[in-house]
Amino acid sequence: MADAIGIAGTGLTVHRKWLDAISDNIANINTAEPMSGSAFQARYVAVQAGPGTSGVYVSGAAYGSATGRVTYDPENPVADADGYVRMPDIDLGSQMGALIMAQRGYQANAAVVDRAQDAYQAALKIGSNG
Amino acid sequence: MSGIDAISGLSGVPASALSALQQSSAASSSASAASASTSGSGSFATALTGAVDAVQGTQETANTLAVQAVTGNLDDIADATVAATRAQVTMELASTVRNKAVDAFNQIMNMQA
Repeated sequence: MADAIGIAGTGLTVHRKWLDAISDNIANINTAEPMSGSAFQARYVAVQAGPGTSGVYVSGAAYGSATGRVTYDPENPVADADGYVRMPDIDLGSQMGALIMAQRGYQANAAVVDRAQDAYQAALKIGSNG
Repeated sequence: MSGIDAISGLSGVPASALSALQQSSAASSSASAASASTSGSGSFATALTGAVDAVQGTQETANTLAVQAVTGNLDDIADATVAATRAQVTMELASTVRNKAVDAFNQIMNMQA
């Protein structure tokens, strides 16, 4: 039964995964990597609408630049001989914007669950006081 | 980009909420129609047994998820609360249909000239 509660549940799951990805990106925003390796890559959640009206699903993940921002930081223990490290190419401002969208999307789907429950209970009350 | 996805996902919900509503009301009306039209074949009993089985299934799912949630084995807390909500709505539907049937039965039993 592909009802509104289940559909909103898929939206909740997708937004929870988006929140997880954003929190991982923000947590690693200062993670320096040596020039020999690749920089921390920001994770972006790719979503896909389910068939018919079955909700939304995570279809995969996209990753940011592996080159990162090459930064001169000779004090850093992982810096190479020339003093360079790879910092992740993540914009904190856009991550915070995405964080707000993910949180509001989660809240909206939670509100749908509540409204759907109210609607079903109203349907069950039809004719009960006659 | 993903915010638009979330919003467009929401705009599709009211229509499906309505159709789900129609389905559930159709289910209850067909269940009571079956009880009125057939006698002896146990059609309403079958429908009610099926409903009770469905209620039991949703409640078992809700219980499993609730245990997983409180023991920290569940990634998505919403899965547990959504399952509990679904179990509650299914339970109320089965209980409403059953009460309607009992009301109809009592009304017939109280008939007198």
